[in-house]
Amino acid sequence: MKLVVVSAGLSVPSSTRLLGDRLAAATAGRAGGSVDVRVVELRDLAVEIAHNLTNGFPGPALSAAIDDVTSADGLIVVTPVFSASYSGLFKSFFDVLDQGVLAGKPVLIAATGGSGRHSLVLEHAVRPLFAYLRAVVVPTGVYAASEDWGAEGLAERVDRAAGELAALLPAPVAAPVSSSAPEAAVPAQPAAGRADRPIAGQAAQPVAGRPDQPIAGRADGFHVVPFEEQLAALRP
Amino acid sequence: MQFGIFSVGDVTPDPTTGREPTERERIKAMVAIALKAEEVGLDVFATGEHHNPPFVPSSPTTMLGYIAARTEKLVLSTSTTLITTNDPVKIAEDYAMLQHLADGRVDLMMGRGNTGPVYPWFGQDIRQGINLAVENYALLHRLWREDVVTWEGKFRTPLQSFTSTPRPLDGVAPFVWHGSIRSPEIAEQAAYYGDGFFHNNIFWPADHTKKMIELYRERYAHYGHGTAEQAIVGLGGQVFMRANSQDAVREFRPYFDNAPVYGHGPSLEEFTEQTPLTVGSPQQVIEKTLAFREYAGDYQRQLFLMDHAGLPLKTVLEQLDLLGEQVVPVLREEFAKNRPADVPDAPTHAARVAAAKEEVSRV
Repeated sequence: MKLVVVSAGLSVPSSTRLLGDRLAAATAGRAGGSVDVRVVELRDLAVEIAHNLTNGFPGPALSAAIDDVTSADGLIVVTPVFSASYSGLFKSFFDVLDQGVLAGKPVLIAATGGSGRHSLVLEHAVRPLFAYLRAVVVPTGVYAASEDWGAEGLAERVDRAAGELAALLPAPVAAPVSSSAPEAAVPAQPAAGRADRPIAGQAAQPVAGRPDQPIAGRADGFHVVPFEEQLAALRP
Repeated sequence: MQFGIFSVGDVTPDPTTGREPTERERIKAMVAIALKAEEVGLDVFATGEHHNPPFVPSSPTTMLGYIAARTEKLVLSTSTTLITTNDPVKIAEDYAMLQHLADGRVDLMMGRGNTGPVYPWFGQDIRQGINLAVENYALLHRLWREDVVTWEGKFRTPLQSFTSTPRPLDGVAPFVWHGSIRSPEIAEQAAYYGDGFFHNNIFWPADHTKKMIELYRERYAHYGHGTAEQAIVGLGGQVFMRANSQDAVREFRPYFDNAPVYGHGPSLEEFTEQTPLTVGSPQQVIEKTLAFREYAGDYQRQLFLMDHAGLPLKTVLEQLDLLGEQVVPVLREEFAKNRPADVPDAPTHAARVAAAKEEVSRV
């Protein structure tokens, strides 16, 4: 199972990255099974993202990051608050994704800021963005102000959000009994407290089962509608 | 295989002098470039179609008709004809007329256009772009093949007993290419009709162009027009040459850095690495162009973008000399090597007329 963190932090070390890592560890712990966690650091992709905006195509490193996000079973997205909203770099990354890439994808939203006064940025800016992108955003967003790193409460919020995201991830799949019958793979026992997990049979094929995925079974990623169908749809 | 040039028709100030040509100068320069293409032995000249500044070619058949009168062999084409916002009836008439005047030296490339407001300016909705391309071309295809057409569709007034005149020369419609950078629907459309597919091959990395062409080839075979290897493929390309490659880089850099489309973005070096752009010696251009075959297969038409970004006419004409004298003869020879016998040549009017006659005699 693949969990991808998108971090828009700019400094090194970055509290945005710190929050992303913490959410990823908590989610992986809750999900059980083997979780492949990848981190996309937007700082390293800033120039390629700008070039994509002007040229229309992604460079090699950005292309790899987009592939990671596209193939992720779940996303954790973390932005610093800049001028009362998500950062421009954060938004630009999601601007260059193809339409539909995030449709149906479980997403945990998080943000960092200098003070608690901007905590609602998650609700008035980040959540509507991902609603537009048709992602499935978990109810708990995690905001960490500077003071939160030395106070009580953050751990509980991280844990609650991680549990909500883990519940939306596909069930961990046990190793096949024999290589000749991979379809016989049985999901591991659900962890306690995850009553809302998806049906195991569907969860085993997260991509094909997800609505509006542009993949449609072709290795090249193209969605091909036979021409007769396209023409017939226009007949008055 | 055919070699030629395609022009966007942009009016751009020369970044090294700040001088901007007038529209008249630019239009006349496009004509001079087309005439030069024939003179240096190229096969095709294609003009863009635009309806907003800084572009001049809004009326392609006017320009191509004028060029037709002043050339003997050059095939006149478009890059692209807006199948979305032009009335397909007018396209049928205009290009059939041009076909007669040019003695068949005409084909055209359909495209959707990428300037949002052009759609509403011509009474259309950009969200219907693909659907407009599908319906309008389906009508155009009939208008050139059926003498009397009764038709009803979503986007235009119905037609009752309409005959598009003049009828295509020798009863054979102009060959059509469909150009698209990234829409699989257009590759599918080209495959369905057995038409050509053109990838502009300028702004995107080769692996993307490869995927689009493979899709078109696969679907061409699916629709029974021939094998995947026999599908009709065209590619764009973009080059700037000097005998010494360092001179080419030095001279072209200010034009690249300030180009309307990709200027102020990636560096010349980055763009050269990631896309088919070649800035260097004629030998480097030959090597890079020959490598297109590795991802596109044996193909039929290679067009180069030569006159853009404010390059002065004199420079463009020098580029065409290099292209015609040093590059294309080698490309013709090299591309012919190991080319399977059943891969068709680029379609011409004469070949299509002969094929149509053969079809009739077989029936």
